[in-house]
This record gives sequence, structure tokens and C-alpha cells, in this order.
Amino acid sequence: MGRGPRGVYVHVPFCLHKCHYCDFYSIAGDGDGGRRDRRGVFVQRLIEEIRASSAFLGPPIETTFFGGGTPTLLPSGLWKILLAALSDHQPRAADHELTVEANPETVDEPLMEALVAGGVNRLSIGAQSFDPRHLKTLERRHDPARVVRSVQIARRGGIANINIDLIFGIPGQTLEQWLEDLQEVLALEPTHLSCYALSYESNTPLTAKLRAGRIKRIDQDLEARMYEVVIDRLAAAGFEHYEISSWARPGRRCRHNLRYWRNDQWWPLGPAAAGHVAGVRWKNVPHLGRYLREGPLPAITDVERLDEDGRIGEELMLRLRLIEGIECGLLQRLLAAGVRGRERGVAIMRHTDAGNLERSSDRLRLTRRGLLVADSVLADLL
Amino acid sequence: MPIRNFSIIAHIDHGKSTLADRLLQLTRAVSDRESREQLLDTMDLERERGITIKASAVTVHHVYRGDDYQLNFIDTPGHVDFAYEVSRALTACEGALLVVDATQGVEAQTVANAYLAVENNLELIPVINKIDLPSARPEEVAGEIEQVLGLPAEECMYCSAKTGQGVGELLDEICRKLPPPRPPQTDETRALIFDSRYDDYRGVIVYVRVFDGSLAVGDRIRMMGTGRQYTISELGRYTPAPERLQKLGQAEVGYFVASIRALPDVRVGDTVTGASNPAHEPLPGYREPKQIVFSDFYPASTSDVTGKRGGYDSLRNAIEKLRLNDASFSFDPIHSDALGFGFRCGFLGLLHMEIIQQRLEREGGVQIVQTAPTVSYEIQLTDGTVREIHNPADLPDPALIQAIREPLVMLELICPTEAIGDLMKLCDGRRGVYKTQKFISASRRILEYELPLAEIIYDFHDKLKSITRGYGTMDYEIRGFRPDRLVKVDILVNGVPVEALSLICHRDNAVKRSRTIIKKLKQQIDRHQFEIPLQAAIGSKIICRETIKALRKNVTAKCYGGDVTRKRKLLEKQKAGKKRMKMVGSVNIPQEAFMAVLEMGK
Repeated sequence: MGRGPRGVYVHVPFCLHKCHYCDFYSIAGDGDGGRRDRRGVFVQRLIEEIRASSAFLGPPIETTFFGGGTPTLLPSGLWKILLAALSDHQPRAADHELTVEANPETVDEPLMEALVAGGVNRLSIGAQSFDPRHLKTLERRHDPARVVRSVQIARRGGIANINIDLIFGIPGQTLEQWLEDLQEVLALEPTHLSCYALSYESNTPLTAKLRAGRIKRIDQDLEARMYEVVIDRLAAAGFEHYEISSWARPGRRCRHNLRYWRNDQWWPLGPAAAGHVAGVRWKNVPHLGRYLREGPLPAITDVERLDEDGRIGEELMLRLRLIEGIECGLLQRLLAAGVRGRERGVAIMRHTDAGNLERSSDRLRLTRRGLLVADSVLADLL
Repeated sequence: MPIRNFSIIAHIDHGKSTLADRLLQLTRAVSDRESREQLLDTMDLERERGITIKASAVTVHHVYRGDDYQLNFIDTPGHVDFAYEVSRALTACEGALLVVDATQGVEAQTVANAYLAVENNLELIPVINKIDLPSARPEEVAGEIEQVLGLPAEECMYCSAKTGQGVGELLDEICRKLPPPRPPQTDETRALIFDSRYDDYRGVIVYVRVFDGSLAVGDRIRMMGTGRQYTISELGRYTPAPERLQKLGQAEVGYFVASIRALPDVRVGDTVTGASNPAHEPLPGYREPKQIVFSDFYPASTSDVTGKRGGYDSLRNAIEKLRLNDASFSFDPIHSDALGFGFRCGFLGLLHMEIIQQRLEREGGVQIVQTAPTVSYEIQLTDGTVREIHNPADLPDPALIQAIREPLVMLELICPTEAIGDLMKLCDGRRGVYKTQKFISASRRILEYELPLAEIIYDFHDKLKSITRGYGTMDYEIRGFRPDRLVKVDILVNGVPVEALSLICHRDNAVKRSRTIIKKLKQQIDRHQFEIPLQAAIGSKIICRETIKALRKNVTAKCYGGDVTRKRKLLEKQKAGKKRMKMVGSVNIPQEAFMAVLEMGK
């Protein structure tokens, strides 16, 4: 067994079009089969990076996650080559989790066949909403019926573990409409759900519209209600709430994402992918042209190595996102080590008294009330 | 040699400075080459705003009917905020040119200045300027002057300071119509100080008009008001280049230097006499300048542009330096919980405040945060004593207060006839008492109201301009203090009074005023983990309330591998922002909230 990271994140930077709320690195137009199509050279270059980095990883690899962009914009032929190379250079654990993010409009039978043949066993579908009006606000170009079809195709193709992403708090959305979205999504019987409150990231068209007054942010109290109803509704449907925005059927939690929240290590591949290994965080330069020209390992940026106290704050921020919270023994160790341990201890007591944190027999975690104002709590623990 | 001492008085932009230049040029005091626009105004700001802020005096010569006349032209500040300085300058003269723009006609300050001149027994020469402009209507304006000021229309002089047309005739008229100086009344020397300014090398330069006797270099003199004594080291006049003299004789106008270190040591209006042979009585009319409008100045940042010093120190230096040049504003250090260290400054009026603020920023290089102006109040206490306060926080216990008195002004508005109705509505809504209405011409009226100064210091001028589409002008004069139903309103955040936000206002306006403040606060204070009541109270009585709801949701939905650093930094920023806020009770109030309520123009 190696000491290298056992998680791999692969960023595929192509999109058919940029959604208005999205601030991830992607290029619209270079993956559309036209003259400038760079998907082939990208996969070729990615395989080179996989080869060059394999010595640092695992072994074995336990989780792999393809995100984007729109990974499913890669045609099935390229997927076959890519997944084969990945399997050759990155030895996998027996229970390897391999997730691919998919947009509903890109899912078809040949693609599923290629993915499953290459070891993909989890699909994450960006549905966002079932209401065409709200999809329009987000500038998502798919028909809600495509979500249903993509789930059917994936399941028939052999993928049992399916996540669906939903967004609530879209301008104009009502509580009833949100409940209808939940109803629709539950009917599809996914194994995992990610329900996000819409966030206004800087440098997105949506935020520009908000600033220009062309859309109106929904009322904070309504947004809070929407979050509360999703917690209750999914619990009633048998889902376990395990992270602020994540729900899973028993045994179906996303092991790759858990890495992030447990402050574990993972290796990044592809332009704009971020990694965390041996206490260092970095990002591959978010530029497809440079990525294609340089190599075999890509240029990196945003390299950060926090001091011990900073790492402790970060670990608290991440671990408390998990509903299970943080184990008390670990918490004691973290509080004892950092220079701000005392200050953090006082903040924990204050938020416990205020009903935002609770201590069960062996763990400290956010209460239901605390979940709603988690940022206010976590900021005090940094 | 016959002497004529005169001033030019006018409404802003009616061409006073241009006419002054033209007069100097025609008397060959200034060659054409030397002539530059508006010679008398020495400060950048004055030229920019077209206002003369500080007076100065120039001596020229003009030959009329074979006699060589000495003309002493005493410049005056162009605004009634400086009414006292204007009146002192006018006292030094026997006559004045009343300049009226041939296109604009009589304006509020024309009237105010003309009245001031008449009160000082000055002979007036009405001058209609800018007759070269196509839109000039000189006969109509002459009619207005006769109607409003009672000066016969046929006595008006017509000229264009710009082209020089009619200016020669005007010089002759000054010699012909204005009276000569009065003869001496005492044997002892008496000279009126009508202005002063500060020079980095020579100290204070004192401008005087000799009424009785004379002043000479080496004379030991005494200021009758302050009792201070000095020795004259330099004497002279401006022509307009400085010309040194050994002696300034009966009725002459000039300056002296006497090793006077600071401007506040010299009082405009004071009488200079001989130290060994002092006069028994000073010349009449001296008054302490009284600051009536108050505003707090804070440094905009804790460090100035150069980053070398703290903002407070820079501001203090700039204020102290400016004070050397203008003794008519006051300043006292203050500390506000909300805005830190700053100064509470007192001014003669609104324009004076604006000028001081701009000079501090321009000449002192400091950025200023300025609170909305307030007035001074006289507090009549139950024990019979009277206390003057400039800050609501200084109000004594309500149980000790018998009455609160506020400054009252006589407001004069000149406006188009059709705006009368709306202006009366405006004044009535500001606790105004209608006095009179006067006819100027078919299209214009004078409207007079008595109302509290507090009602016009904030946005009144803007309202006037908007109602009259820019044609209305205003002027006011302080008429003393009057008690009214004035109350102190406390602003409470989560039950705790915020001293920096309390205000004094009329009981009838209290609800409206405090509602505006509370609404602004509500927009600026973030939701907390608990509900926050915002209240306004008079004593223990709550007069209005808003509530900031408790924070319901504040959680970052997504935090995956690539988001960790950014989210951590966001939370750190959130935390740092909270630290910079002012804690009142358990509520964090951002500085912007105080600014939104206190700052000018918000």
C-alpha cells in the first residue's frame, strides 16, 4: 500500500454553453465537433499527464471523479481510450468508486456502454430543476423530460448509483414549486441527491443580472423554508442527510466527496483541477491552450500551504459540514494544537449555548438550526 | 488730493470681479499685458467659484475734470454668510457700486447687499452689467432696481465689463457722485480693521481704513478691542502691486505689518489707535463673529494619501493651517464611537462651511467625511441659566430644561411669479411664517418668510432650485433665537441608545425624521442571530420602530475540493468585517450605517 493520495479529480473543461450561475472553468465551443474541436488532443494530453503523475498516486486508487465543464461531451470513442489508460496507470481498489458528471442532454446508450465498460459505476446528473421557467433563469438548455430519459438510459446501461443535482432558491421560485421538483426527483429513485441553494458567484452573468436589478434574490426566510422542507422531505423518503447539501440512500454516500470534507488527499488532473496532497493545496493553470502546449505535468498555480493553526481552522470548517460532525477525540487534539485553540473553544461554547452546535456522546456537530447559519458558526472557528 | 473709497457689491456671477479688473485696467494700474482675469481674487477657489471670499483693497488714480482722484477700491466677500465682513468692508467706504446682471436682473443677494450698504449710509451707484449680451434687458432690469431698491431707474449706469463699454463713464461717476470721506472727528488716531490675512513670512497683514489721524512706520499701536500693542514695521497699499509707504494719512486705505503671529489676534472690526495717545472711543460696530452652523469633520481614512501620518493628524494640521487664514470658523476635537477622532467645526453659514471643507481638501490634501450640518441651540435651564450647545449629546437632563431655543432667520426668496405657490408650500412645510411678498417685475417676486435656520440648512437650496427650475435665489439673515417644541430624539439599537445618532428636532417632525434614519439603518445593519429592534425615542416614549429579522440562513451550499481555499477566505473576510464594526450592545453596526445616517448628501 502506498502513501500517495487515493483520490483523483479529473477536470474536463468543455461545455456546449455556459450556464449563467456557473463559475467553473470551461470553454464553450471547443467541444462541439467543429473546426476548433480540441477534445481529441485534450484526451491525448490528459493521458500523458496520467502517465506522468501515476508514480505519485496511491496505490491503489479508491475514488475517481470526472467533473467539469461537461465530461459527457467527450464522445464514447475518446472515453474508451481515456478510461483504458486510466485503468492501466492507476491501479484501482476492489471497491473503486468512479463518478462521471453528466448533463441530461448528453446521455445516450453508446456513451453509457463506453463508461460502464471502462469502470464507471456512478453517474451525477445535473438536473437543477424540473420547471422550464427556472431552467430558463439559470440558462440551462435542457428539457426536463431529458432528465427522466437520461436516468433510464444510465440505469439500463448498468449504472445503479445515480446522483441528481437540484437547485433551489431560484428567483421567482415558490415553496410549492420546489416541493414539486422534489416530488419529481424522488419519482426517479436516485441513490443520491445534491440540493444546493442557488449561490451568486462573482463573475457570472447571473450575478451581473442581480446587480443590474434584472432579477431579484428570493427572500431569505423563504430560502430557509426551502432548505428545511428538503431536509424533512428527503428524510421521510428514506435518505440520509450526511453533508450540508448532500443526501444518500444507506451505503451510497459519495466517497470521493467525503475526502474533501474529511480533509483527505486527492490528486488533480486536467486544466483548472484543484488538488490537496501532504498539506499543500494547488490548482492546475486554468487555461486549455497552455495545458495542451505544456507538459507532461501541467503548470500549477494558487499553491497554498497553511500553517498548523490555519490547517486546523480549515479542517474544522470542512468537517463540520458533515452532519456526523467531528469526533471529540479529534476535536480535542485540534483545539490543543492550534494557537487559537482557546478562542475556538470559547466560540464552540457560545454556539453550543446559542443552539447552533450540539455535543452528542462522542461527536460535536451542527444542530438543525446551526445548519441554516453554518457560515456564521464556521467563521468563528477558523 | 480728493479721495473716494468704494466697494462693489453684487450677486454671485453678476460680474463683480470682471468689472474690478476692467476698472484697474482703465486706470492703467494694470497694463493690458499684465491684466489677467479677475485680479483681485487671489485664491484658486475664489476664482473657480466666482466668489470673493476675503476682501482686499486696491488704490488707483483717475483724472476727472482735471483733478487727480485717489480711488480706493475695497473688495468684499460676495456672500451673506460673510455679512459681518461685508458690513465692515462697507463701513470703510463712502459709496458702493451695486452691480446687477442685465440678463438675470435683481437677485436675492443683490437685495441683501444693497440693504447692507444702505444701513451703512453708503451712496449707491446702480450698475447694469453685461449689456453686450444678446439676452440683455437693461431697461427692464433698471425698472426692477427702482421697484425693489427705490433707486431711480434713470440713475443706472450701463456697462459691459467684458468689452469695456461704459466703464470710463463709470469712473467719472464714481468721482462725481460718491461723497468725499468725512473730516476727522478726534485728534487721536483711529483706523478700522476691515480685513486681515496671513503671510508665511511676515505674519498677519492687517487691512485698515484710517478715519482719524494717521499711521506711520515705527508707530506703537494698540488694538482697542483686544488691548494688544504692536509696532508697525511695514506700511503700504496695493496698486495692485504692493507699494510701501512711510505713512497712511487721513481717509486713506492700506495695510500694515506688525509682527502679529496669528490671525485670531486680529479682529475684523476692531479699531487701531496710538499706544501713547489712545482714542477714548473705538469706531462703532465691532461684533464677534458667531458660528451658527455646525458639522463634524472626520478624516476619510486613518491614513492620508501619502500614508505617512494618521488621517487625524493630517486633518488637524490642515485645520490649524487654514485657521491662520480664516479666523471665522471654530473647531474643537471630538471623538465619536462611530467615526473615531475628528473635529466639530462651527461656521458662519452654509457656504462658509462648504468653502472651508473644500479648502481643507484642496490646500490641506486631506479627505474629509462630513456629517450633515446642525445648528447651535440655546438651552434655557430651570435654574435660569442659559447654555449653548452644538451637539444633541450635550443636552442636559430633560428635567433641567425649561426651553430649547433655535436660531431663526429672515429668509428672502426671489423667484419667478409662477413658483410662488410651490415655494409657499415649501416654506409652510418648514415651520415658516409668511411675512410679505414684493413685486419686482411682471414675472418676478420677492417672498419673505421667517423660519428656523435648521429648516434651511439641509436640502432647502436644492428644493428651491428644483421648484424654480434654477431661477430662484435665496438669502437669509439671522434674527436671533426662538423657543419651539424641540425635542431630543434617541436612536436605540437593540434597546441601547446610540449617542452618535441622536438628534434635536421639532416634535412634529420627530416621527418622520427618525423613521428615515431607522429605515437607513435597517438597510445597513446585517441580520444577526437574533431579532434586532431599531427604535426612536423621546425620553422613554418610543415614537417609531423597525425590526431587523433574525438571520435565518447563511450557509455556503457548495464546498468541494476546488472551493476550499476560496470559501475559507470568504469566511475570514466575513469575520474580519465583523471585527471592524462598532459593537453596540451585542449588535455589530458597520461604519457605513453611521455614514448613511450622518453623512452629507446621503
